[in-house]
Amino acid sequence: MVRGWDDLRPKKDSQGEPPFQLPEIKWPDLKLPGPLILLAIAILLWLATGIYKVGLEERGVVLRFGRHIATTDPGLHWHLPFPIEQVFKPKVTEIKRVEIGFRTVESGGFGQAAQYGDVPEESLMLTGDENIIDIDMIIQYWIVDPVKYLFYVRGVDKTVQNAAEAALREIIGSRGIDEALTEGKVEIEGNIKGLLQKVLNIYDAGVQVGEVKLQDVHPPEEVRASFRDVASAREDKNRLINESQGYSNAILPEARGESAKLLKGAEAYREEKRRRAEGDAGRFTRILTEYNKAKAVTKKRLYLETMEQILGGMEKYIYEDKAATGILPILPLTREKGKETTP
Amino acid sequence: MKKGMIWLIAAVALLLILVRSLPFFVITEYQQAVITQFGRFIRAVKEPGLHFKTPFLQQVSIFEDRLLEYDAEPKEIITKDKKTLLVDNYSKWKIIDPKRFYETVRNEAGALARLDDIVYSELRIELGRHTLSDIVASQRGEIMEKVTQKSNQKAVEYGIEVRDVRIKRADLPAENAKAIFGRMKTEREREAKKYRSEGEEEAAKIRAEADKQKTILLADAYNEAQKVRGEGDALAIKIFAQALEQDPDFYAFYRTLEAYRKSLNDKTTLILSPNSEFLKYLQEVK
Repeated sequence: MVRGWDDLRPKKDSQGEPPFQLPEIKWPDLKLPGPLILLAIAILLWLATGIYKVGLEERGVVLRFGRHIATTDPGLHWHLPFPIEQVFKPKVTEIKRVEIGFRTVESGGFGQAAQYGDVPEESLMLTGDENIIDIDMIIQYWIVDPVKYLFYVRGVDKTVQNAAEAALREIIGSRGIDEALTEGKVEIEGNIKGLLQKVLNIYDAGVQVGEVKLQDVHPPEEVRASFRDVASAREDKNRLINESQGYSNAILPEARGESAKLLKGAEAYREEKRRRAEGDAGRFTRILTEYNKAKAVTKKRLYLETMEQILGGMEKYIYEDKAATGILPILPLTREKGKETTP
Repeated sequence: MKKGMIWLIAAVALLLILVRSLPFFVITEYQQAVITQFGRFIRAVKEPGLHFKTPFLQQVSIFEDRLLEYDAEPKEIITKDKKTLLVDNYSKWKIIDPKRFYETVRNEAGALARLDDIVYSELRIELGRHTLSDIVASQRGEIMEKVTQKSNQKAVEYGIEVRDVRIKRADLPAENAKAIFGRMKTEREREAKKYRSEGEEEAAKIRAEADKQKTILLADAYNEAQKVRGEGDALAIKIFAQALEQDPDFYAFYRTLEAYRKSLNDKTTLILSPNSEFLKYLQEVK
């Protein structure tokens, strides 16, 4: 810039500074250096094109005749204007995103869900146990070395996309489908991140891989119903076990109740037996007490009263002893009655 | 109007001639170049910056100095175990010798054609040595490394370094995929069946255990109850015995009378001897 001025100054001076005069007289004097002023303005404008702003999210990479000479931080800067110097301004803080297995067709806005398109040739892949799985993945990365990013690899974004796809398949290829579908996810994400970073470092791409997220991992459409049935079979299993436990919980208390009932019944029986025995024994003792007071007469009376009572309604035959033996066999034939004999 | 156009074209042509005639040219960081004279190689320029040449006579061909990509079309490759794989790979390559590059393949398009031949044939050879499961699962890394090495050896003569050959996708063709889906389905069906019968087994065990517990509980209770009942009976016997011990004869007499009363009723036919105790007065009167 300074040099530009120096080129200009002496020429202007050579025209001679007119003595102090009125402005009207000064006009024609200025006509002579007219083209030079135009040139000066043109040069100034040209120099002004070297002013550039590096945004907060950017770095300025300055090249002089194609050679990298400086990297500038955010702020207002100046470089030698075009053919001499030029500046690239990669966005270093911007987090870039690679989608594998799907593409965001329309990002969601206010009250509007994002629209996604499936890319089956990316999302379907073979697992280590030769099953096919459907995976959608998101990878975030950013520029850590703007010089490498600009000058070492052509098409870094496409490179990250391809390398990510390769890494995803390489890692999934070493796992079984069940592992990928369930508990292995976090570990798989870590492995993909590590492998992808390693590959990008081999390329010297100047980027850092951030988050690797397995967005959606599921069996392919064709077999999804079978996989769902396995889940519901697992539920069925639990249900059956729960039901049987319910059965167990129902019948065991019942059985305990039953046994308590048995035991209480037995106790009741024992107590009843004892009390009745005590009652009967008491009765006998009391009778005995009175009997002891007049033994013979009481015994007679008890005998007679009993006989009177029992013989009252009964059919009776009285025979001599010898005659009785003769008649006895006939009796059961004539009567349909209970047979009782007393000597 | 027409005059203006002619002037414009003339100006552009002049500018071109001017640029061509300039004794210097610029190589940017990501570029390299070869200088030729009537198609003959003069020298290579690898450093970025301002460079000089002979105007008019010498021509500059600028090449990329960055790592470049060759993303091949997916191709079918037969594995060692005679399975067909649809392989989609990409290669990362770089022009390391601009002179050779210029002399053999001339430009990027030419290089891609060569790379396609080299990488595809190496890939086919190497994949043909491995089984499907090796390629997909265990040895993908080694295979890719080997293909990279061999391709690199061959590419040197074109002034190209092959830094990486990577299998992006290795999938089965649609017909084979169908077979896999079929197998996956049956596998899952088997698994589902297993879960359900496991559930039934477990449930049956739990039920049987519960039934067993119930039976044991009830039997224990019966055992205990019988003992308690026996205790009751024993008590009764003891109490009776204590009372009756006081006068066994009277008990026998008294209890017999009671037994008569209970067991002999109006359905009984009694044959009495006149000598019996009851009828002894009857005889005296006779």
